[in-house]
Amino acid sequence: MMPKPSLWMIWLSLLYLLVSATAGGVILVHKAVDIHPVIWSFLPIHYELAIWGWLVQFVMGTAYWMFPKYVNGKRRGSVAMAWGMVFVFNMGLSILVLSMLYRMEPLYIIAGRCLLVISVITFSLLMWRRVVSYRELTER
Amino acid sequence: MPKVTRWFIKAGILYFITGVLLAVIAEIPAFGAGPLLLPVYWHMLVMGWITQTIMGVSIWMFPRKHRDKQEREKLLCWLAFGLLNTGLILRFLFEPFLSITMGNYAINLLIVVSSVFQVLAIVAYILEILPRLQPREKRSIQQGRS
Repeated sequence: MMPKPSLWMIWLSLLYLLVSATAGGVILVHKAVDIHPVIWSFLPIHYELAIWGWLVQFVMGTAYWMFPKYVNGKRRGSVAMAWGMVFVFNMGLSILVLSMLYRMEPLYIIAGRCLLVISVITFSLLMWRRVVSYRELTER
Repeated sequence: MPKVTRWFIKAGILYFITGVLLAVIAEIPAFGAGPLLLPVYWHMLVMGWITQTIMGVSIWMFPRKHRDKQEREKLLCWLAFGLLNTGLILRFLFEPFLSITMGNYAINLLIVVSSVFQVLAIVAYILEILPRLQPREKRSIQQGRS
């Protein structure tokens, strides 16, 4: 069964996919039919949401669910760390996207990206010992 | 592997090959096509290949909510496949030439159709995959009822 941190990551990734595809669709139409110049400001949001919000988050959520689980103790490692990963990732992405949309200080963009880095490191810590063969897992 | 998954993955592989080829062509100065091809090969790789592969594999691997509702599943999956690929092909055929054909009503209309199709494909995929994403407790309750 899919654990809740994975469910949340995949739910949010689908939401970001829809927002990103809609923004991309509007930009494409704007290329053919002039709608409003402000639409070009959606471009960085379109690709940040597509890459980080959709692709990266979907893969992280699915990997956390599907990779080999521990035989003893907590099956996917620390649950608090997993929730931290989900929260920090989406906080970072929200800060990044909002700072781009409202053209805020570059400091906010750096803060958003730093949170994404922290989340990716947390993901790596959670997954590192789960990247094993089935035999290694049972011998532990 | 369901048939629709095989179609998603094989179409994805074709976009992958075409995308990297166009990325090479875009780098050759003699063609002068770099800026025109940039959005085309990026969308071939991100939407045509990666997204399409994810869609196909998740339709195959994610737990099904209703094993008895295969007709509905088939319809949404094939709708997502058809709309996405029609939308992408229209985009790849006409987007690079928009600066030349500016104001051509038929081409502008096809671009709008391409955009709408791509978004609708995403909606169809989400409608198919969302009911499968439920916490353990909710699934057990629903399975107990049926």
